[in-house]
Amino acid sequence: MTTQFTSDVRAPAVASPQRTRSGISWWFIVAVIAVAATYIRAIYFTPLEAIQGPAQKIYYVHPTSAWVAFLAFGIVALASIGYLWLKDLKLDRVAESAAEVGVVFTSVTLVTGSLWGKPIWGTWWTWDARLTLTLFLWFIYVGYLVLRGAIEDREMRARYSAVLGILGALLIPFIHLSVYLFRTLHPMPIIGKPSRPSLPNEMLETFALAFVSFTILFIALFRARYRLAIERDALDAQERG
Amino acid sequence: MPHNAGYYHAAYIIVAVVYGAYALSLWLRLRAVRRKHDQGSNGVRVD
Amino acid sequence: MGPSTLGAALLIARKDLAIEFRTRTAFFSAAVFALLAIVIFFFAWDPTAVAGMDLAPGVLWVIFTFAGLLGLNRSFSVELADRAIDGLLGAPVRREAIYLGKALANVVFVGAVEAISIPAVALFYNTPFGGRWLAIAGVALLATIGLVAVGTLFSAMAVNTRLSELLLPMLSLPFFVPIVMPAAQATARLLSGRPVVEAANWLKILLAFDLVFVAACMMAFPFTVEE
Repeated sequence: MTTQFTSDVRAPAVASPQRTRSGISWWFIVAVIAVAATYIRAIYFTPLEAIQGPAQKIYYVHPTSAWVAFLAFGIVALASIGYLWLKDLKLDRVAESAAEVGVVFTSVTLVTGSLWGKPIWGTWWTWDARLTLTLFLWFIYVGYLVLRGAIEDREMRARYSAVLGILGALLIPFIHLSVYLFRTLHPMPIIGKPSRPSLPNEMLETFALAFVSFTILFIALFRARYRLAIERDALDAQERG
Repeated sequence: MPHNAGYYHAAYIIVAVVYGAYALSLWLRLRAVRRKHDQGSNGVRVD
Repeated sequence: MGPSTLGAALLIARKDLAIEFRTRTAFFSAAVFALLAIVIFFFAWDPTAVAGMDLAPGVLWVIFTFAGLLGLNRSFSVELADRAIDGLLGAPVRREAIYLGKALANVVFVGAVEAISIPAVALFYNTPFGGRWLAIAGVALLATIGLVAVGTLFSAMAVNTRLSELLLPMLSLPFFVPIVMPAAQATARLLSGRPVVEAANWLKILLAFDLVFVAACMMAFPFTVEE
């Protein structure tokens, strides 16, 4: 009884996506270098802010992560619309990848925001408009991922996730409005919040570097997650078929 | 100037650790799926 | 949306309510849950720190969301038995009509629970409603439409998953916040005897939410029951 071991055999081309190349991508290498450069520049080559102290340096990693969190969600929303319209599973894989990477960045945003709030505002949490919106973004992401995890059928999973992705995007402006209205009612006591000072050039440059670095990091992580989605779908197709 | 460097140290460490751990998890999961897939393909009986 | 869609929706709503009325278990469960929760909140409350009138709107709206979720759960689970939903889907009825019909039935269901809860809160929390019943009922209706619009859609999705009881609240609650907040604010204004116009300002966001989400959920519903 012989079993022919052949490495030419791949998953059937029609039903499932093609496999991906292995190896570390360039995006990831560039991302690591860029983030490392940001860290070095922020820690050693950027001046301290006199009023806020060293904790102000969180500013280089917090809004940058926040921007990515919202960018990723925008991708989820667009890919969701695209999927319902075109029914192409590629778009669903885009949405799923953006969502998973997005929830990581959102979590980091919340934690770094808290670490920034304590020394600067005197409190670990404040129902600040942006932080609250980020918190809700986190809840929507988690709901989205849990929903995906609870549906076995590939096509139904894509369809339902797309519906939730779109509705979640519709919700964001309402949350923003609600928080704004709520806060006009309840002026929150914020101890010693400094008005945002205009940044000197060195700080702006560090911020710009951080902004670009974390965006590249997002792209690298997204691409890796997308590769994983392709491979997993190919594996599922093979196991089924 | 306030002595609050600890906060930003913690933040920078957390950022590096979380993104690094996530990247690592992606690599490990990708490897596991590829392994399973290759086993499935390679085990095809052609007799 | 022609008259046949609305007619079909009303028929479906009547069917659901007839089933509900025959057994009444779900309604009693939700109502008793609401009453119990109202009582528990009472015991968790320090009357020297917070006046009943200040606590009542918050309690009312938290109860409505959770009792509402209980009711919404049954909305599609009732169709699971013998794949009854296939009968509905096979009928020459637009999908949107199914959604509207289910939502209408849910509004009646949740509204009935609210109709019991509001007097209970007035009674237990010594919060006389002083002739503002109608206005408060109006707020409740607007908010309930929003809660049900979203909850009905998510209930249709959740029922097809492994974690339906956990998933429905988890998906719905973020969407309930822009409903509950203005509703509680408006209710608080009405209860404390402030001019009705002040409460009306809060209703604008409620109205906007209702319009957007009833439309969006109605358009999304066919995607959840595609074959």
